[in-house]
Amino acid sequence: MADELSVLADKGREPEKITIIRMCFARSGPPIWLAHLDLMRTFERSIRRAALPIAYTRGFNPRPQLSFALPLGVGLATEDDYVDLTMLEPIDPRSAVDRLNLFLPPGLKVLTAGVVSAKDPSLMSLIQAAEYLLEGHGISTAAKRIAGLPQDRPWLVEKKQKGNMVTVDIRPLLMDMHDESPDRLFIQVKAGSKSNLRPKLFLEALVRLGDFDPLAAADTEITRTKLLIADGFGGLKSPLPRPSAF
Amino acid sequence: MAAVNVPRYVLQSVVKPARYVGGEWGSVHKDLSADNQVRTRFAFCFPDTYEVGMSNLALQILYDLLNKRQDTWCERCFMPWTDMAEQMRRLGLPLYSLESYTPLRAFDFVGFTLQYELAYTNVLSMLDLGGIPLLSADRKGDDPLVIAGGPVTYNIEPMADFFDLVIIGEGEEVLPELLDLYDANRSLASRNRREFLRLATRIEGVYVPAFYHVSYHPDGTVAAIQPSEPGLPARIRKRIIRDLDRVDFPLAGIVPSTEIIHDRIFLELFRGCPRGCRFCQAGMIYRPVREKSADLLIDQALAIERSTGYDELGLLSLSTSDYSELAKLTDGLLCNLAPRQISLSLPSLRLDSFSLELMEKASKTRKSGLTFAPEAGTQRLRDVINKNITEDDLLAAMRLAFLGGWKGAKLYFMLGLPTETMDDVEGIADLTRKIEALYNELPKSQRPRRLEMTVSTALFVPKPFTPFQWAAQATPQQLDERVRRLRTLLRSRSVKYQWHDTDTSRLEAILARGDRRLGPVILDAWRRGAQFDAWQEHFQMRIWLDALQAAGLDPDFYTVRERSEDEVFPWSHIDIGVSRPYLLSEYRRAQLAQTTPQCRDACSFCGAESFEGGICIGR
Repeated sequence: MADELSVLADKGREPEKITIIRMCFARSGPPIWLAHLDLMRTFERSIRRAALPIAYTRGFNPRPQLSFALPLGVGLATEDDYVDLTMLEPIDPRSAVDRLNLFLPPGLKVLTAGVVSAKDPSLMSLIQAAEYLLEGHGISTAAKRIAGLPQDRPWLVEKKQKGNMVTVDIRPLLMDMHDESPDRLFIQVKAGSKSNLRPKLFLEALVRLGDFDPLAAADTEITRTKLLIADGFGGLKSPLPRPSAF
Repeated sequence: MAAVNVPRYVLQSVVKPARYVGGEWGSVHKDLSADNQVRTRFAFCFPDTYEVGMSNLALQILYDLLNKRQDTWCERCFMPWTDMAEQMRRLGLPLYSLESYTPLRAFDFVGFTLQYELAYTNVLSMLDLGGIPLLSADRKGDDPLVIAGGPVTYNIEPMADFFDLVIIGEGEEVLPELLDLYDANRSLASRNRREFLRLATRIEGVYVPAFYHVSYHPDGTVAAIQPSEPGLPARIRKRIIRDLDRVDFPLAGIVPSTEIIHDRIFLELFRGCPRGCRFCQAGMIYRPVREKSADLLIDQALAIERSTGYDELGLLSLSTSDYSELAKLTDGLLCNLAPRQISLSLPSLRLDSFSLELMEKASKTRKSGLTFAPEAGTQRLRDVINKNITEDDLLAAMRLAFLGGWKGAKLYFMLGLPTETMDDVEGIADLTRKIEALYNELPKSQRPRRLEMTVSTALFVPKPFTPFQWAAQATPQQLDERVRRLRTLLRSRSVKYQWHDTDTSRLEAILARGDRRLGPVILDAWRRGAQFDAWQEHFQMRIWLDALQAAGLDPDFYTVRERSEDEVFPWSHIDIGVSRPYLLSEYRRAQLAQTTPQCRDACSFCGAESFEGGICIGR
């Protein structure tokens, strides 16, 4: 039966028709508490409810072919996240967005979408940087304190890596930081499979080195405001292809 | 009452915060301002974690049913895990519903579904966290009505002090009747709760424990159970749905965003079971057998698949192979589901060639595990419990399984069954060895490369409303000795042995056949810290033994004591249709190792025919 199923799935799979839709989505409200696997499952089921012509992985346990840009930590909101959907046939990105939005639980919303080439490297491997808005009581003062530490002093924090606690210097991972008010701080950090700074680790550095109140840190709202990929000219750009100007 | 606001740092600090925030696809939100249409707020409570509770079909059925009423909003509430409960206590946050974050005490009804006895202390925790007085006698007009339903309420006596009203039997008809009555007598319910409860007893299936007086003999057995006022029914008769094809079934259930235990669509094939295994409470309390039609089930499955987006569908019943239209149903499901990448899970199948072929066809993952429940190790003991399986059946099934590429199976047995001797225990090991021999005799080309058998033993717990309600539970020493014997006998590279904890089964036995004197014991045990008793990491028998001792009660009275044939049981005033004389004759036949034919082969006139439904009609 498993073989039969794969055949059925393959029937509609004509390579020239395979289309990859890259969707930009936001999450807020209850879904921010989903773990990455939960978020994947929720997207899979929503796509099935929306009856989008999604392709399935092969093998004994076929799953809808989705690929997310960068896992979101538990408790994080986002305004600018990305997922690639492999479709069995060409489909208008806008109508796919409208359709899927009807079937996502409240708090998850697709904002826009575009078609990307099936030959592109995986979305996850493209990600270079992320921007976050951190909203916590007195966060900007703590940020100024660590920014004022001598340039040659590393920002050491402990993190769990493969079950062990390791000490890492996160200073090189912070690309930019500016405050908008005493309680609102923007940071731009390295992100992706090569080097990645999780915002919660940054908050820990604020606690350890910037005298940030631990309770305020635990209560800080974190929103991912941007995910960025290399633009090929040494800069960064949105993962979503701009509508062609030509 | 204001919605509960859980601070962000609390959710950030607890395990699986998604359990506590709601917002799932299919959860129902109602506008409370709209023309004041919602008048009754109902909190459906499951006294275990979100993952366990959301896997329960009764919750999905009743949530859907109650929310179809314009005047009612049914919301959900689960037992928070200990980390969350601690934080809530520390911050004074009341337990709240997942839909509107409303504190439990602000609801009109707080309704618990009780699926197992070991959840009792969690009921108390939830009431306490919800700010509701624990004892029914202490609740006033503006407190919610605390009600219960579900399989263990057939003997709710140990929890009688805590519930205002209990529903005996299936809830789909009686619950709406109760809500209608409440809506028509809203002011009476808050002005004079007792009078309202009195009114509710006119609904068949409604049991108000406070209206019944229990007296005891000096030896602790029940002398009599009598209504405390004239006009109350002497016996409370369970409610059933006579025609399952004509009762609402949720076609668009809640789809959890976070993983739950049984994360799939459930299709309920039938209620009841024709087999009549003598240890099985479900097999008696859900009689008579009532089937849904295959055509309707196929339509419902497709509708649910479209509305939920699930990719797995499970058939639900006490014995899938006994569904009379199984071939038609599975053919219909498979030809519709396969193109949509849905797998079918098939629990409770008899192992025969039809079933094995079906399992092979049904699952995307090629070899799902086989399970098989001979329950006892010798033919004699299988006859005692009326489990209609022979050794030849088992070996023939295993041969088919090996030839079909299965590496083995999981075999379920019970230890401590009435009349069990060490010979019967050793019979389990003999049976396992015969399966190993069968495997070894097959040519290497025709069998899987490795043999992987699992033997699992549960400990027998005598349950009310079964032929074994009179029987003694084996002593903890006997049970430990039998488990030890099996551990020695089952030492083999290809056999894994799993066994259950003696103390858990002992507590289950105390509560299952318990009386009202256990109410203060449960309260005391809870005060001493008992909670999540069904979870090995939290269960502490010591607490329970201390609480029993403090109340002057002997656990052995409830567990290892065989009841006399004329003893008045604490649940004697509950009428499940199946009669006491029938159960007693089954108990006597058990002692003679005489089997009784199943419902489809011959009617035994158990009493369930009085419901004039399902399999009993047309005889």
